[in-house]
Amino acid sequence: MKVKVLSGDHAVAYAVKMCNVDVIPNYPITPQTLIIEKLSDFVFDGECDATFMPADSEHSAMSMAIGAAATGVRTFTATASQGLALMHEMLYVAPQTRLPIVMANVNRSLGAGSGIWAEYNDSMPERESGWMQCYVEDAQEAFDTIVQAYRLCEDQRVMLPLMMCLDAFVLSHTVEKVLLPEQAEVDAFLPRFRPLNFLDTQNPKFINIAVTPAHSMEMRYQLDHLMRETSSVVDEVDALFGKHFGRSYGGSIQPYRMEDAEHALITLGTATSTARVAVDELRKEGKKVGLIKLKYIRPFPHEQLRKALRGVSSLGVFDRSIAVNGFGPVFTEVRNSCYGMGMPITNHIAGIGGRDLTVATFKGMFEKIMRKEGAGRDCFWHGLRGDM
Amino acid sequence: MVEKAMTIKTMPQEDQLGSGHGACGGCGLSTAVNNVLRILGPDTVVYAPASCLLVFSAAYPISAFKVPFIYSAFENTGAVISGISAGLRKQGKQTYVVGIAGDGGTFDIGLQALAGAAERNDDVLYVCVDNEAYMNTGTQRSGSTPFGAWTTTTPVGSKTQGKRSFKKDMMCVVAGQDVAYAATLSIAHPNDFVKKVEKAKAMRGFRFLHIMTPCTSGWKTDPAVTYDLARLAVETGMWALYEIENGETTVTYRPEEMLPVENYLKLQGRFRHMSKEDIDTLQRWLCKRWDQRYHTDMVSKEEPKGDKELAMCGEETEGL
Amino acid sequence: MYEIRFHGRGGQGAVMAAQTIAEAAVYEGLEAIAFPFFGAERRGAPIMAFARIDDKKISLRTQVYQPDMVVVMEESLIEIEPVADGLKPGGCAVVNSKLSPNQIDLGVKARCATVDATSIALEMLKAPIVNTAILGAMARADDFVSIKAVKEAIASRFGEHLGEEAGRINAQAAQMAYEKVSIGESLAQRPITKRKMWLPTWQEMPPGVALYHEKRGEIEVGPGSSWQTRTGTWRTKTPRYLRDKCVRCARCWFICPDAAIKREADDHIDINYDYCKGCGMCASICPAKAIEMTKGAKL
Repeated sequence: MKVKVLSGDHAVAYAVKMCNVDVIPNYPITPQTLIIEKLSDFVFDGECDATFMPADSEHSAMSMAIGAAATGVRTFTATASQGLALMHEMLYVAPQTRLPIVMANVNRSLGAGSGIWAEYNDSMPERESGWMQCYVEDAQEAFDTIVQAYRLCEDQRVMLPLMMCLDAFVLSHTVEKVLLPEQAEVDAFLPRFRPLNFLDTQNPKFINIAVTPAHSMEMRYQLDHLMRETSSVVDEVDALFGKHFGRSYGGSIQPYRMEDAEHALITLGTATSTARVAVDELRKEGKKVGLIKLKYIRPFPHEQLRKALRGVSSLGVFDRSIAVNGFGPVFTEVRNSCYGMGMPITNHIAGIGGRDLTVATFKGMFEKIMRKEGAGRDCFWHGLRGDM
Repeated sequence: MVEKAMTIKTMPQEDQLGSGHGACGGCGLSTAVNNVLRILGPDTVVYAPASCLLVFSAAYPISAFKVPFIYSAFENTGAVISGISAGLRKQGKQTYVVGIAGDGGTFDIGLQALAGAAERNDDVLYVCVDNEAYMNTGTQRSGSTPFGAWTTTTPVGSKTQGKRSFKKDMMCVVAGQDVAYAATLSIAHPNDFVKKVEKAKAMRGFRFLHIMTPCTSGWKTDPAVTYDLARLAVETGMWALYEIENGETTVTYRPEEMLPVENYLKLQGRFRHMSKEDIDTLQRWLCKRWDQRYHTDMVSKEEPKGDKELAMCGEETEGL
Repeated sequence: MYEIRFHGRGGQGAVMAAQTIAEAAVYEGLEAIAFPFFGAERRGAPIMAFARIDDKKISLRTQVYQPDMVVVMEESLIEIEPVADGLKPGGCAVVNSKLSPNQIDLGVKARCATVDATSIALEMLKAPIVNTAILGAMARADDFVSIKAVKEAIASRFGEHLGEEAGRINAQAAQMAYEKVSIGESLAQRPITKRKMWLPTWQEMPPGVALYHEKRGEIEVGPGSSWQTRTGTWRTKTPRYLRDKCVRCARCWFICPDAAIKREADDHIDINYDYCKGCGMCASICPAKAIEMTKGAKL
């Protein structure tokens, strides 16, 4: 084991190197650039044996990843925001054809009225694409989750692509201590990739051709069903990772001080770390508050979440994006999932466009949750100038 | 000792695009694809973007392709085949990787991905089957549609009739990137066709084959004249046969004399409305290109004799 | 509600016919909708189109499963498509054929109208575009819409696309067909068999829109399975091989878009009529006139 001080982006690059990825199509975009620059260094120095493929666009990068994965090799790419949006069309192909591509998406706000800072309106719309999607909170978790991702995606019961999301700058460009395992340890954890669908002239198969209404519906249901079944594999792989490396993350969700919590907040990404501090401070004041980190939004951990929320009398959901004229997407997911549980559930929007999230921001959320404020008006923006 | 070039007499006969596909009767594209794949053989992986080829040959659960086949979108042929090639080469497999896209998927929406693959000189064969409009969606104009042609988006209106701009020179765009090989092919010149595919097959790096494929539905022609149109296109200068290797252009077939473009236009419904003035405009454009194309410097020192190889029992059959 | 199903081939104008009959019905003060079978069939392939007519606004947007009328734009389709499938009791069929109705075997006994629309089209339009003649025959076969309205609709619809003169001639073709229709009863000798399909449950479907070449249900699927589609049924012209004239250059084999020509050991050829669509490219490339095209689906 080695101790390194790495940015979130570099932690991803190290993990990709150690996972013996075969093909890396890529296209640069801030704040993902550190990932592919580091991977370039590895490849050009001969430390990584992957085929590094500079693409002409993110659309092409994902197309290349699909082409490469369709031959049965381990594939990685990384992007952010506009790049992910440009990939949108191609994203839908990988799950339907069961190609277990792993991608890092550095969350950055999308569209006009935004810059290069963290927001989830790039990745959240892709929940519908059939990709697994998870959010990590620090560089160690970014490293570990990439390693887990290959094991999970390539599991014979899964064979789906995964998008690991990490916050722009707050994680991508923030350096911190990362424990790097020995190569042999990673090799022992990651079995050889045995692809499901691959182009082989010895045993020809077609992968994705025109499909008419006579067959599409069964295909879509199959994917939907598969994703639901996959949630337990997420937890299983994380537990197995824990056995191998002595670190684990609770799988799909990670509760914090939830044992006797009456008031809970659901967070994701780096916000979770700061929110933990808010929980600790409120606990000191005797408030029975707790936190659940929602790591995986696909597959959505319905059962795990409902179990963790038993006994909670008021729930808030943090969102770092807004579905315009709707709610934060995480809130929509959670409220649907918790339908019938009885407690009030409110939505707490903050950190839009990368606006800084402080301990006070999260305390403000808990105040509203504890007061069960918001019957009839259940979406609060925190840190907004002007009355709501 | 130079090995004799492959001819239609000596090329492999095993079909990789089988019978029973749903192309229109008289589809020039099917002829082109079938013969490219016969020559590439069974150790080939095919990518086709959204196109007639995809729709008529591969609709779940049936496929006319006997070799492994994959499809994903419209604009990414260059990118997907690059990825396939990278994946296969990583595994030490030398399988041929071919992307077969139409003119829309090549000239227009797929140009960027194509240019990327060409610039990286990825080890792939890119085949453009050019029928000069978006035929799969019902004959909308593309960057390949010739001047004056009717399409559903360049209709014959009372104010404007047919397409007002000229066909894009795709070979120029591709050849500008130092690719391993680029060539134009015609289904009316079988031995030239076969020789170029064989040549491309033997090379490594980015190879581009541009095949003119007459379309009976979109050109509004009798299926039986598909061959005649392919032949007349070359004789009138609407299509030229040449190859570019190491930056050197070699004309592989030079018509004895330039036939008036009208001979070609009059067989096709898509040009029926064309005014004398428009035909003259097209003819002038063609003459200019003819002079550029068949300038003496660009003609091979070895005057093309390849098709004489075809002769059966001593008979000369090419060009009849 | 009156429901019509058209059976034609890609390029014959079945969709245009369906739209025109709907327009005619609207001229009669009725409500109507017309729509194609939403597929991607090419020229020559069997296709369907539908029309629905009622005296009140039509809410049904489903395909037509139990038509009051089936229209067969080319006789050969009866051999390959279950054209009379679901035909309502008392319904009728309109068939483009030189034969009389009691020689038409639809697989059910039904009122049947025949008309030689191809000859009428060739005479009037100088092209085998039968859809307008068929429309005239439809007006005669059943009284759901008048010939007057049909002709008006043709003049409008075809006039708009092809010019006023074309509209007028096409309306005349309809009138001629209206006058020449024979009406009788069809035969019920052939079984109505539907195309074999593989319709797996989601559990049975292999994952990932991917298949090997294998048998699934009653059919072969995967790479190389297209041979099960006998595209030879599309043929309206047939190549005849004149062996003695053949110079064995193999150019016909090269040019055939359907891989329907096989080379013998000495490069004489063999035409596979199961797949030959009758396009005639082989005849046009042959330097020795060793292939000639003959009219009709068979030699």
